[in-house]
Amino acid sequence: MTESEINWPALLRATDSGEQAEAVRTLRELLQNGLRIALNGRSGVSEAHLEDFAQESLLRVMDRLDQFQGRSKFTTWAQAIALNVAFTELRRKRWQDVSLDALLADGDRMAEPAIMADDVLGADEERTRLVTVLRDAIEKQLTPKQRAAIMGELRELPFDQIVQLLGTSRSAGYKLLHDARRALKQRLHEAGITGEEIQNAFN
Amino acid sequence: MKKREQRLTRDQVGSIVKMLGLTTDREFNCGECLQRVSEFAECRLANQPVGEVIAKVEQHLALCPECREEYEALIRILRAGQ
Repeated sequence: MTESEINWPALLRATDSGEQAEAVRTLRELLQNGLRIALNGRSGVSEAHLEDFAQESLLRVMDRLDQFQGRSKFTTWAQAIALNVAFTELRRKRWQDVSLDALLADGDRMAEPAIMADDVLGADEERTRLVTVLRDAIEKQLTPKQRAAIMGELRELPFDQIVQLLGTSRSAGYKLLHDARRALKQRLHEAGITGEEIQNAFN
Repeated sequence: MKKREQRLTRDQVGSIVKMLGLTTDREFNCGECLQRVSEFAECRLANQPVGEVIAKVEQHLALCPECREEYEALIRILRAGQ
């Protein structure tokens, strides 16, 4: 039977416990094999980690079976969930020592004039004006949490870590960041700086 | 207490500007991206055009390094299985 012929959701929900157990076992193995490929060569990831990630992913997939809408192969959809589970955990371990205070302090410092000095800007007049407006907008348009979220992005902090530090949910955190970007963009627009200028300024 | 001075690098300023350039009023968040990224990945590998909705996945991937990292890993898995 080919992948496209297997009705995974039906098998995983099967009332025949033997059939369901076999589907679960096969899917777990498939997810673990995929994670082995994806995380190949990554330091600190053992076979035991892969087993843990696969098991956690399986539970997540089972929990979200109703959300599968058949727009892709089931296994591709499940694999995307498994990757999200594994990478989220790996990022959490990597960044677990960063504090909210440090992030908020970075966000506050970001609004200080000193951070965007001439040696950063170079001599280009258009770019200088853009950054001056941007700095002013960061200081006056954004809340401390929005500044912290932007700073977290710039520090390449994982998004999950940013939302955890800010004590918010993933979707609320994304909205916070999205609102901050929109506010800054709007301010640049009001200052007569076009989208094209924004794109070209640092190319 | 004297504040510790910190300067943003040119790359960081460039990153903010790039983010703003890609910002639109309606975007996928990470959850919406995860829900549709499998469809986007299969289209990309098959060189099929993506629809308007799925194009939002691409826009989100340009803005979100974590989702992009996961998408690139998904592509590696799919390629290994071809």
